[in-house]
Amino acid sequence: MDRTLETRLEARLADHLRGPVYQRHDETEIRIEAGSVPEVLRILHDAVDLRFEILADLAGVDTGEVMQVVYHLWSPLTSDWLRIIADGLSRDDPRVPSATFLWIGAEWLEREAYDMFGIVFEGNRDLRRIFMPPDYTSFPLRKDFLLPDDAARSPGAGVRHVERACAPAALADDPTAGVRRAPAS
Amino acid sequence: MPPRRGADRPTSTREKPQAGGQPSTDDPRIILDRQIGADLFEPIPPYPPRTEREGEFYTLADGEMFLNVGPHHPATHGVLRLVVKLSGEQIVDVDPVLGYLHRGVEKICENSDYYHVIDQVDPLEYISSLFQEWAAVLSFEKLMDVTVPRRAEYIRVLSGELLRIASHTLYMGFLALDLGGLTPILYGFIERDEIVEMLAALTGARMLFNYFRIGGVNGDLNHEFMSRLGDWMSRAARQTEASAGLLNENEIFVRRTRGVGILDRATALRFGVTGGNLRAAGVPFDVRRAHPYSVYPELDFNVPTRTEGDSLARYLIRVDEVRESIKIIDQCLHNMPDGPVMARLPRLLRPHPGRAWGACEGPRGMMGVYSISDGSDGPFRFRIHDPSFINMETVPTLLPGNLLADTMAIVASLDPVMGGIDK
Repeated sequence: MDRTLETRLEARLADHLRGPVYQRHDETEIRIEAGSVPEVLRILHDAVDLRFEILADLAGVDTGEVMQVVYHLWSPLTSDWLRIIADGLSRDDPRVPSATFLWIGAEWLEREAYDMFGIVFEGNRDLRRIFMPPDYTSFPLRKDFLLPDDAARSPGAGVRHVERACAPAALADDPTAGVRRAPAS
Repeated sequence: MPPRRGADRPTSTREKPQAGGQPSTDDPRIILDRQIGADLFEPIPPYPPRTEREGEFYTLADGEMFLNVGPHHPATHGVLRLVVKLSGEQIVDVDPVLGYLHRGVEKICENSDYYHVIDQVDPLEYISSLFQEWAAVLSFEKLMDVTVPRRAEYIRVLSGELLRIASHTLYMGFLALDLGGLTPILYGFIERDEIVEMLAALTGARMLFNYFRIGGVNGDLNHEFMSRLGDWMSRAARQTEASAGLLNENEIFVRRTRGVGILDRATALRFGVTGGNLRAAGVPFDVRRAHPYSVYPELDFNVPTRTEGDSLARYLIRVDEVRESIKIIDQCLHNMPDGPVMARLPRLLRPHPGRAWGACEGPRGMMGVYSISDGSDGPFRFRIHDPSFINMETVPTLLPGNLLADTMAIVASLDPVMGGIDK
């Protein structure tokens, strides 16, 4: 945990931070608005006391209520990974500025997030599906996209909400419908 | 005069009606049209372009043509399709088409519990599956505040470095095979087989190990593994030099890879390329040193770098890394502590809600996993970052200007594994 990174981030990004800097293990986490992604990434990349020069990852997240875009960055000046959460994207029309102006490698990562979550990255020159076929219409990693079967059901106590939602309707009405009974003799 | 055979066949839409009203049945395209549909062989997609870039790519200038390389081309290391735009024999542009192996592993993992995730991620990078497991358990251990016993950490490093050598020897062989040399792959497989048989004695499987656990590893070192390892270590260094010499001193190989597919330092950083491909461009970024995990801070090894950034440099970096890995294995064997190989954990893992990012250095670059817990027994979100995906992304930048024959020299030197790219 790098305490000095927290002060450096607060000094540089005071206008953009949404909530306090959060640190745990070897990770530092900040939350920002989707609109301020280009300025924040530009500052993190260029500032001489930050120098986050490697984009380690770009991921979409669907929390069930909002969408997020999560960036992980690496800098030679700190022992922490930096996680930037662009929070509060609407699930109906998630839009966020692209990071390709800084890291051209974000192009495919954004294509993947678009393919899986439907997040539109404004400024990405090639935002089309990357894994799913072009005539596909759903966004598979959204939380309201249910797996067609419950083959992945956890053996732990209780069934998780994703599977419970896709149980057959008969099961939802009558909890004993799926219970195997001994045949009547 | 009897009518010509086949005169009643429907004419192709692509065939212009001829003056005599009779299409030529000698034209093979007519047969293809009728039997399986000509559009099967058209690289131009049958729908309007979705983006500006796609529209630009699929518009041919004068004298240009498309060529599909793949999806079933033996040199594409999996099921990859490269739509190559050619001008003569020179590559103008490339559009890689992915997704032929997409299985939705992230979604499957989000519907599994924490123990299941480890064997779900195994088939991603099937050549070096321990590293994908490693990234996953690193992330989960942070999520759950688990401390791994030191002996387990040493066993992880030992098995991981063995697998790195196996992966690199296979890489060297396949790179030569794609350039037309058959011998190195045979030696590469001999060496890799020794290592995977060794790991099979340790883990029970040759490729998809399912060996790492949250809080340790599944099973301690055993006699068969140690005797095989001791046997192999006695000749590993010599064998590596011998198989490297097979290529390093081969003039055809060196000439075909030197100065081809140059990825310079600035471009590599802008792409976010990691691993040997970045180190070949002169950036000493190795997660084992740049962001230490496990017991790597205690071990003595170098991070080899080169400045050329071409295919040959990427190959030579791998050779150097094999030497470093042998050094690490030697240290692991000398410093191996006693003790348990698993932390004590409950059967059902329910970490507090939180987020964790775990990254480790695989043979192809940084393997990352970002997991979110919602307090249930499985990850709420499980994001896999695969280095091959980024390596493949550089292909449209590296290929233009080269000859078609160099496609394989460049793509193979980036060391992509399609299982990891397509998830």
